[in-house]
Amino acid sequence: MSKLNIKNLIKSFPSMDRPAVNNVNLDIESGELVAFLGPSGCGKTTILKMITGLFQPDSGDIILDEQSLLNIPTEKRGVVMVFQNYLLFPYMNVNENVGFALKMKGVDKNIIDQKVKEMLELVKLPDIGLRKPKQLSGGQQQRVALARALISNPRILLLDEPLSNLDAHLRDEMRDLIVTIQQKLKVTTIFVTHDQEEAVLLADKIALIFDGELQNFTSPKKYYEKPKNIKAAKFFGGVNFINAKKYNDNLSTNIGTVHYKGENYTDLNEDNIITIRPENIKLSKNNDFNDNSFKGLIKSVIFSGTHTRYKIIVNDLELECSLQSVGLQDIKKDDTIYVHLPSDKIWAMNE
Amino acid sequence: MGGERLKIILSLTPPLLIIFTLFFGGIFYGFLQSLGYQPAIGKYEINFSAYYNVMFSERYAKLFWTGLGLNLWVSFASTFLAAVFALFGALAIRKTFFAKTICNFIYSLNLPMPHLVVAVGIIFVFSQSGLLARLASQIGLIGSPGDFPVLVKDKYGLGIILAYIWKEAAFFFIILMSVLQSLGENFEELAQSLGANRWQRFRYVILPLVMPNLFSASIIVFAFSFGAYEVPALLGVIYPQMLPVMAFEFFLNPDLNARSEGMALSIIIAIIVMILVVFYFWLTQAKIRKD
Repeated sequence: MSKLNIKNLIKSFPSMDRPAVNNVNLDIESGELVAFLGPSGCGKTTILKMITGLFQPDSGDIILDEQSLLNIPTEKRGVVMVFQNYLLFPYMNVNENVGFALKMKGVDKNIIDQKVKEMLELVKLPDIGLRKPKQLSGGQQQRVALARALISNPRILLLDEPLSNLDAHLRDEMRDLIVTIQQKLKVTTIFVTHDQEEAVLLADKIALIFDGELQNFTSPKKYYEKPKNIKAAKFFGGVNFINAKKYNDNLSTNIGTVHYKGENYTDLNEDNIITIRPENIKLSKNNDFNDNSFKGLIKSVIFSGTHTRYKIIVNDLELECSLQSVGLQDIKKDDTIYVHLPSDKIWAMNE
Repeated sequence: MGGERLKIILSLTPPLLIIFTLFFGGIFYGFLQSLGYQPAIGKYEINFSAYYNVMFSERYAKLFWTGLGLNLWVSFASTFLAAVFALFGALAIRKTFFAKTICNFIYSLNLPMPHLVVAVGIIFVFSQSGLLARLASQIGLIGSPGDFPVLVKDKYGLGIILAYIWKEAAFFFIILMSVLQSLGENFEELAQSLGANRWQRFRYVILPLVMPNLFSASIIVFAFSFGAYEVPALLGVIYPQMLPVMAFEFFLNPDLNARSEGMALSIIIAIIVMILVVFYFWLTQAKIRKD
């Protein structure tokens, strides 16, 4: 159980015209499972490598349990990283791979054997100790890599794109296993991913990173309901954005005045942006709603199984709405419709 | 189907003819000569007396066994040291772009250079009248160039070993650089994060990963240095003499009867190298089966 604080972390590479990591600050609580989420090249793996000590930051600090890690060599940090492509040593069998960290510490062979057995049982692979890595499936290799990382009781466990090389079925299985083991061992864990769904399903908190800068660090739910900015909203599937101005405790837009209940009203700039998730918009052929109801025209209807997506034009503004297909009203292209933006589902942002 | 097969056979025939005629034909004729079959001088009898003479006769036995010892020592030492130098060199410079580029260039230049030229270079640099001896004498490290240790034309084959290290380290280096580059640094970084220090990363990660390629290259270098003539001829002494030089001297003997001994010696060299190659394949196959 270890608490990690990242302070004003900056890292540049000569080949890049912007810092790979730009002034990142993060406080990760003991036992948390945190996702570093962002597109490829945004700097998330660079932060991971700075935490392990494989990269040195240009400035800033990384503090683990009130102690700076910067002057501690990688091998003594107690921070273990599981790489994206597992990297099992091909010339060692599974037992030897899993016991590697303890062997490096000079632990007695009998104790290593016992711990290896426990770890393989933990990852639910008790009978494969004598196999070589190439005799294992991708999912098995991932589990062995996880067992190898956990055997030395790391203070921090780092997982670099842990599910990206697995097919959909194995991904679900591995995701459950990671969560189960993390909760059982209560090891502070950070994993890197570019997959928003993976981050939401696994993480207690998500650090969203774009172009080396931390956009937001909060719970998955808040990214959906209360994103910090347009970039964050878009990364989590946000498609509806309406320019707004503050107006008598409400928001004025070019589709009309929007009644707003968000707790951040006082923090909003004069000019701001409203967002609402497609699944929170309601449609009605008759004007059944009391407030935030606007007349529009259906531009397109796309059936996608459980849900149907509608594009609606409201006063030159295009909004997207997603409704459950079951029990749907008969809404067709070119129909006139009333669009309801529930005031408790609307969120306004400054940028 | 039949036409296609005939086409393949016809296409392969010219190179196969050349290989069989020159390679197997040559070996077969040489083997016959080693058994005493020399129609040109009226010898048709087949026996192993040339082999016996070379290995056990009072005249040649001592020459042969000391020569074999020297051969094994020179080939093992030069192969091992060239591999070690290349390995540490490659590890030292693989992360520095400039040094890597320079070394790659120098080693690429060294590769096509004939062994004979390298041997002459060794004489120029390491002999008692060479560059190093004169330099050491000039700066007062030794009284005169003659005080410089005998590194060339010495009974331990040091000059020959130096020449092979100079030449073969380049071969090892190029192979190792490509292996290390294809491996990247991830395995080492992983081992480091698992608590391995610098020595442990070398011992438990780098060495096992490069060993298969290093071992294959070592077999090639060993086989070459074991059977090569020109470097020991130029840098060796009269006694002890390496086996290829001894074999060649049998050929140069005006007495044509001595050719059988020369051929027997050549066949012995070939058999030793073949045993090593078979042993290598047995080892690699055993490893594949084990895996």
